[in-house]
Amino acid sequence: MPKTFEKSDLREAVSLDRPWVTIVWDDPVNLMSYVSYVFRSYFGVAPEEAERLMLRVHNSGRAVVATGNRESMERHVEAMHGFGLWATLSHEDS
Amino acid sequence: MLFTRDPAGTVSASFEAVELGLLRLAASQLIELLLAAESHALGTGADPALTRLLPDAYPGDAEASAEFRRFTSGDLLERKLDNARVLLATLGEEPLDEIADEPVGPLVDDLFEVPATPIALDAPAVQSWLRTLTDLRLTLAERLEISPDGEQHLDADEAPLLSSIYEWLGMVQESLVYAIDR
Repeated sequence: MPKTFEKSDLREAVSLDRPWVTIVWDDPVNLMSYVSYVFRSYFGVAPEEAERLMLRVHNSGRAVVATGNRESMERHVEAMHGFGLWATLSHEDS
Repeated sequence: MLFTRDPAGTVSASFEAVELGLLRLAASQLIELLLAAESHALGTGADPALTRLLPDAYPGDAEASAEFRRFTSGDLLERKLDNARVLLATLGEEPLDEIADEPVGPLVDDLFEVPATPIALDAPAVQSWLRTLTDLRLTLAERLEISPDGEQHLDADEAPLLSSIYEWLGMVQESLVYAIDR
């Protein structure tokens, strides 16, 4: 078991060094009310934060909605695709 | 058609017969598209609607995107299919061809005389509806050649009809979001 801990500690250190981000992109189809609802229901953020993120997507064309290791970001991107949102992951951190 | 939520949490709306027929037809076509996708490799040359339903996860990295798709598309398509089937099930089970057997005249009269049908959705059904309405609008947007600025570029006889269906589905979804959200 100690070895497993070491391994995951190492991975954590690497991911902290260079975090991945989940980005949601603006699209002409999804309703603002729906995008805001998705952020609130999936990420569990407060209504004001969900609204702020949605407006950033709408006005800036994209917004970083989560930061972390690659596995978690892939999970978020898959979930966003399940909701029909246009999401990607990358090393960028805009 | 306007969704409301009762104190017990059930969300419901009344749909005219034409609206039910429209939803049934649209969801059935979505199911066909998703089933066809399950049996084909996605990627270059795929139906653009499918590319939007399962977009590249790694922009500018085709290899990583293909890898991501290989691991996620099966589950995603399966869930999208389930959602569309749940929507169909909540509309009632009458198959389309039974209606089509009726003479055309009485059918047209019926469509406007039949009272609106109440559709009640529990929490899981609401989720399926929200996602399927989104998938339907994304698919229609591809057909209508809607550009990033929201303009429709499809120049074909069916464009006005598709456009009004697209707008109507948006109204249904907006109404559903507000019913569960406020």
